[in-house]
Amino acid sequence: MILAIETSCDDTCVALITPDGEIRANVISSQHVHDRFGGVVPEIASRQHLSLLPVVVSEALAVAGATLDDVTLVAATRGPGLVAALLVGFSAGKAIAAARELPFAAVDHLHGHLAANFLAPNRFEPPFLALIASGGHTLLADVRDHGPVQHLLGQTLDDAAGEAFDKGARLLGLGYPGGAALEALAAGGDPGAFLFPTAQRMRGLDFSFAGLKTALLYKVRELGEPETQRRRADLAASYQHAIVETLMIRVRRALGATGATRLAIGGGVAANGELRAALHELGVELQIPAAELCTDNGAMIASAARYRPASPFPAYLELDVYSSGERPQ
Amino acid sequence: MRVLAFDTATALTAVALQDIDDEANACLREVVDLAAVDEPTPGGRPNHARRLLALVYELLERSGAGWERVDRLAVGVGPGTFTGLRIGIATAQALATSTGLPLVGVSSLRALALGSAAHQRPALAVLDARRGEAYLAGWAPGQDPLDAQPTWPPQVLSPEHLARVAAQAAEQHGHPLAIGDGAVRYRAALESAGVEVPPDHSSRHRISARQHCRIAALAAPAATSVEPEYLRAPDAEPVHG
Ligand SMILES: [Zn+2]
Repeated sequence: MILAIETSCDDTCVALITPDGEIRANVISSQHVHDRFGGVVPEIASRQHLSLLPVVVSEALAVAGATLDDVTLVAATRGPGLVAALLVGFSAGKAIAAARELPFAAVDHLHGHLAANFLAPNRFEPPFLALIASGGHTLLADVRDHGPVQHLLGQTLDDAAGEAFDKGARLLGLGYPGGAALEALAAGGDPGAFLFPTAQRMRGLDFSFAGLKTALLYKVRELGEPETQRRRADLAASYQHAIVETLMIRVRRALGATGATRLAIGGGVAANGELRAALHELGVELQIPAAELCTDNGAMIASAARYRPASPFPAYLELDVYSSGERPQ
Repeated sequence: MRVLAFDTATALTAVALQDIDDEANACLREVVDLAAVDEPTPGGRPNHARRLLALVYELLERSGAGWERVDRLAVGVGPGTFTGLRIGIATAQALATSTGLPLVGVSSLRALALGSAAHQRPALAVLDARRGEAYLAGWAPGQDPLDAQPTWPPQVLSPEHLARVAAQAAEQHGHPLAIGDGAVRYRAALESAGVEVPPDHSSRHRISARQHCRIAALAAPAATSVEPEYLRAPDAEPVHG
């Protein structure tokens, strides 16, 4: 079995899967301590990871009905993500592997999101176009094989889509995380009430949400407190519509540019109902993994570990994490 | 008892494997002691993530023994750099889980004080806490850091507070000795309070994991997980927002 650890942001995740991609355990311990700060606090997330990880590892083993003796490969997220948070899971993963002289796979987090599609029972095989949209990343990739992200078509130049949801929710006085609350509020509003920017004139396949967030801020100021309150649902619906359109414009362009007829989506934003509805209207073969495989999880990291070379013991002892861009192989 | 220990509270990655003779009050019989220090580049971080496991395995290889010849694990719990502490503790807990060995968390300040061999004078272990502060714990004469609770419990102090505690130790117990990178950093404040600080390059300022082995041999292993001693609340700044 493959044991995988994912601690790149604020979820402490451990999973066990079989080499052919059947999930035996996929334990996700979400840290709600960040809610009152209105965003993930790296130092708090890292402290939580350290205290939760041993518990989550034993829980995953218990759920799988396995012991470490059943593990043949250990994997952990190497990056991108919050360095201090990554280091907890990555250090633990290396040590678990080393003590048993097992091979170790240092997995790219984005490869993990793609590899969530390769898990049983709903395997979705390449080639396909992938849209990954979460609080940490927003990107489009042309997926031609099972390996790490090779053909990145576009990514966000500023905020991530999930971040845009959170920031909008905050401006409308909703809590953190704000995606679900904003969607619920939007359900009773008119998406055409206000026209928010979708960076449509920006060419190519990159995303930008900074202008959208600023536009909402100015609109809220312009309306004033009582009017903003009165029209909250319309503001939420119009804002959500603009986020979804920003994503959809690039998805349509990418489908046109690549000629792809199959599309997979991942990341926490994949839970959004308006986005799902819009994607279904595209008329392409669509794959949306189960919710717990869309958000950050260990099973996707274990899945990715099957499609990249693992390092034999002791070649990985000196491996370190990375925070962004650079992806040393 | 054979103990494998490491400490990543400071810029130094310290590891040691020791045979401890219980009856002789935790004397060291066989010593394998390794430490690596890379000055972090400005804005960089210590290299614990790269160094720690590699040093542990170098140690095991040099001693010619595998995990089956180790009886106990020990890890420095700080105080120190938050990320360093977590790399050490996450590694230690994972090794303990994976090997089934008992694990003991050891105060990095206690280990530092034990290595000072201050004997009949107060020993002040002082680490650089950055942001213009210091971590301190102190033991009065006759209080052996090996098993006695610190007379001045672990705390984070401004230089003025540090000088005040040092002056108090000097007044009550005579001529204290202060060691650690914080003692070097705040030498002036400590010396003016009547405290002796060994020369900057003295090895006494460096944490040695040998001391963790001695302390761990006498301690009861942790029943649950080992907790770091942060001594400071986290900065509550979200990544974005
Ligand atoms: Zn993610």
